[in-house]
Amino acid sequence: MNGLRILLRQPRSLVGAGILLVLLLMGLLAPVLTPYNPTSLEFSAYMPFSAQHPLGTTAIGQDIFSQLLYGARLTLLVGAVAGLIATLLSVALGLTAAYVGGWVDEAINALINVFLVLPGLPLVIIAAAFLRGGGVWPVILVISLTGWAWGARVLRAQAMALRERDFVQAAVASGEGPGRIIFMEILPNMTSLIAANFFGAALYAVLSEAGLSFIGVGDVSLVTWGTMLYWAQAKGALLQGAWWWVAMPGLGIALLGTSFALLNFAIDQLGNPRLGWGSVKSFRRTLPPAPAPNPNALLAVRDLDVGYVTPQGTVRAVRKVSLDVAPGEFVGLAGESGCGKSTLAFAATRLLNPPGEVLGGSVTLAGQDLLALAPEALRQVRWKEFSVVFQASMNVLNPVLKIREQVYDAMQAHGITDPAKLDARARELFSMVGIQTRYLDSYPHQLSGGMKQRVVIAIALALEPKLIVMDEPTTALDVVVQRQILQEIAEVRRRLKISIVFITHDLSLLVEMSDRVAIMYAGELVEQAPAHELYAHPAHPYTQQLMKAFPPMTGPRERRSGIPGRPPSLSETLPGCPFFERCAVRMPGICDVKPLETFRIAEAHTVACFLYDPAVSPATKELALSHAPNSVIAQPLVSQEVRLEPVPNPALH
Amino acid sequence: MPYLLRKLVILVFTLWMAATLNFVLPRLVPGDPVSVMLAKYQGRLDPSAVDALKIAYGLNDLGSPVAQYFTYLGQILRGDFGRSISLFPTPVSDVIGQALPYTLGLVGITTVLSFLIGSALGVYSGWRRGHPVADALTPIALFLNSMPYFWFALLMLYMFAFKLRWFPLGGALDPFPGPAFSSGWWSSLLRHSMLPVFTILITSVGGWLLTMRNNVVSVTSEDYLAFARAKGLPERRILSRYVLRNALLPSFTSFGMALGFVVGGSILTEIVFSYPGLGFYLYQAVVGLDYPLMQALFFIIALTVLAANFAVDLLNVILDPRIREGRA
Repeated sequence: MNGLRILLRQPRSLVGAGILLVLLLMGLLAPVLTPYNPTSLEFSAYMPFSAQHPLGTTAIGQDIFSQLLYGARLTLLVGAVAGLIATLLSVALGLTAAYVGGWVDEAINALINVFLVLPGLPLVIIAAAFLRGGGVWPVILVISLTGWAWGARVLRAQAMALRERDFVQAAVASGEGPGRIIFMEILPNMTSLIAANFFGAALYAVLSEAGLSFIGVGDVSLVTWGTMLYWAQAKGALLQGAWWWVAMPGLGIALLGTSFALLNFAIDQLGNPRLGWGSVKSFRRTLPPAPAPNPNALLAVRDLDVGYVTPQGTVRAVRKVSLDVAPGEFVGLAGESGCGKSTLAFAATRLLNPPGEVLGGSVTLAGQDLLALAPEALRQVRWKEFSVVFQASMNVLNPVLKIREQVYDAMQAHGITDPAKLDARARELFSMVGIQTRYLDSYPHQLSGGMKQRVVIAIALALEPKLIVMDEPTTALDVVVQRQILQEIAEVRRRLKISIVFITHDLSLLVEMSDRVAIMYAGELVEQAPAHELYAHPAHPYTQQLMKAFPPMTGPRERRSGIPGRPPSLSETLPGCPFFERCAVRMPGICDVKPLETFRIAEAHTVACFLYDPAVSPATKELALSHAPNSVIAQPLVSQEVRLEPVPNPALH
Repeated sequence: MPYLLRKLVILVFTLWMAATLNFVLPRLVPGDPVSVMLAKYQGRLDPSAVDALKIAYGLNDLGSPVAQYFTYLGQILRGDFGRSISLFPTPVSDVIGQALPYTLGLVGITTVLSFLIGSALGVYSGWRRGHPVADALTPIALFLNSMPYFWFALLMLYMFAFKLRWFPLGGALDPFPGPAFSSGWWSSLLRHSMLPVFTILITSVGGWLLTMRNNVVSVTSEDYLAFARAKGLPERRILSRYVLRNALLPSFTSFGMALGFVVGGSILTEIVFSYPGLGFYLYQAVVGLDYPLMQALFFIIALTVLAANFAVDLLNVILDPRIREGRA
């Protein structure tokens, strides 16, 4: 199992499993490790440490070391069995509630809530007091019956989320029975959660058993670490100075509990990697010096390499990308999902969170090396020089603060503190993006998605930065709202002469709005050109395919084709062109072996494709082009006379 | 307000469950434990008391179980928990009245302190991930959280009361502490509470730390935090208005479950230090087979925990605008 291997590579889960193993062996090998019976009274009372009795003897002459070893057996048994029963109850009730729904769910949920807030230990004490005696099973039963609620709550939530997922819905639609759906579709996706839950319940069980035994409820004639503590206390071990009689079993319980907790924590983390112990590394500049940026550019990205460092290796999401943005320019960045366009934006603005890391290259904004800035200097540059509009603007506003505070604090952080000024500016910004100023005193959840996005754009404009990076700012919105917001962005940009880097997978939109368009594929920037040029003469086979994926408004009907195949995995090192596998005009022996290069084919038009490599013989190119199905490239790549007028974008008109 | 109303309904429902468990458990268990108890006290109680107990436990076949149940619920509503057997003829409510202030003082103050300290350390540990001290806090917290409360209490008692004699061995006050609320009385109270407070603090702080750390880590990857960073807000402001405000909310939500656990642990701590609170009397009741006292104590402990939960829910309403409008 993959999860198990990752688990065993973490130091914490290793320590947890190690402790558990040692304690388990202690119990199993007890007859080998000690010659004495834990309950025989053959020795004199309170004997000190000796080779014969490593931990001395009890008040009634039992060997403490043998008690500790044999006590591990029942203590572990109680933990494991009670943990198991509690987990089974959690799974059964949680899944039933989530799967059946309706009043059954209501009833189970009410029961869960009741058991969550009922104080567990007092309840166990009361219940066990009535069940006095009778060995270890009543104790196990009582503990399991009170310890299932937390797990049931977590599992119910998870199962409900899973039930809404596509693959489960598909199974339901295809007529699979509930048993099959639960056991084949839902349960396998909850294994790590269930395992984590088991260790949590086992921890609760061990601690409860210890507490119960200590106050003498349950069967004190058994040897567990809890009953050892009971007898030590009852016989006044501490008053006799025999502190180890108390210390050792308690330490055993604490260690067992810690091992359960470590395993619980580590497994939990598998399903929820955000909780990792992983460290947040601050960026340190140890990169080789990058080529000097273009002095006329406002933003100059040079040879930027960005990767995600994972236990399975580094995923290189952005590979040696260079991009310039001139003052006042609108640059569109397009590519399919996962091509690295958002990673590029985050890395260039230094917003990348671990495990993302900049591996090389430079980013210069108005002459300042952004990647080398000290935290305080970076803080001051942010928002004043450049601002960012995020992809998921739904969650970009802090849910517990009023909008007004979130508009103000951006300005306050950069020196505007006069309340009258703040208020005036906030009103101005809101009218600029078309929201009524009364919404300043709302909370984010009171606004619609489109309004939230407008608020974010208003905040992005607050300090009139030179550059705004917009990462799919309108993707989640409906077409009408999308159009309004895009028009507002275009209008504000013209008025304020702001540069914009606009990221989207919607190429038609970019062609309409941008001055220049850059196309990304598998972490590489494969083509860059003025928008009209790119529209009229897409040079890279990938760009050409993308262009074919959206229909023109005029002209004859024709079949739209997608691009067959999938992008390569970004964790691989690719020797040649990343598009090779899917390319209809590939040149085997060249494209798949030569390191990718970028060629300039017109004044402001570059393309990373060997079809434009002067070093490759024309015959090879002709051969590749002749193999291509006629749908791929209608015009030979060399002819540049045919000019098409840009087709209006339906989203904008 | 629908949110609070729903919470109130759950509270009442849970209390009713606690009362019902109290009623059902003695009748459910095989071997008739109540008869055992009555037999134990047969010679020492006057016959009228034994009769009263028989009625209370339905041993004299007076009325159907349903009728008994409603009589029982009615008594609880009137605050009538009967008389203690081990402390006969003291009414159970008097015993509780004596013990409750000690537990509320001890557990209440330590829980608030532990929550504050643990959460503060949790914020530090989550926010400064990668720093050696911050990372070391997590395994330490896991260990502290896995220690049995009473065991740590015993070690503390041995070290600081028995060996070093810095603190008294048990109880809440000296035998003659002087007039109540005088300075001598207060100092006596304080000296007696030091070790129990310390024990509960150390053993419960880890749980809050872990909860808060997880919340902070979750909030750190939220979009609004990246946005706050992008805005160039000062670190202090990000921490106080963005991280803390949001990370506290789930901490409050899990407060309920954790509180039950802490109260359970505190009960054992009271036993070790002979601290005359609810837990100490619960132990006395268990040892003395004093079922009326036991059941009443369970009910009161549940009531206290539920009341604390409700107070936290109120706080939630103040802190989270979404709950205020019944959206969450």
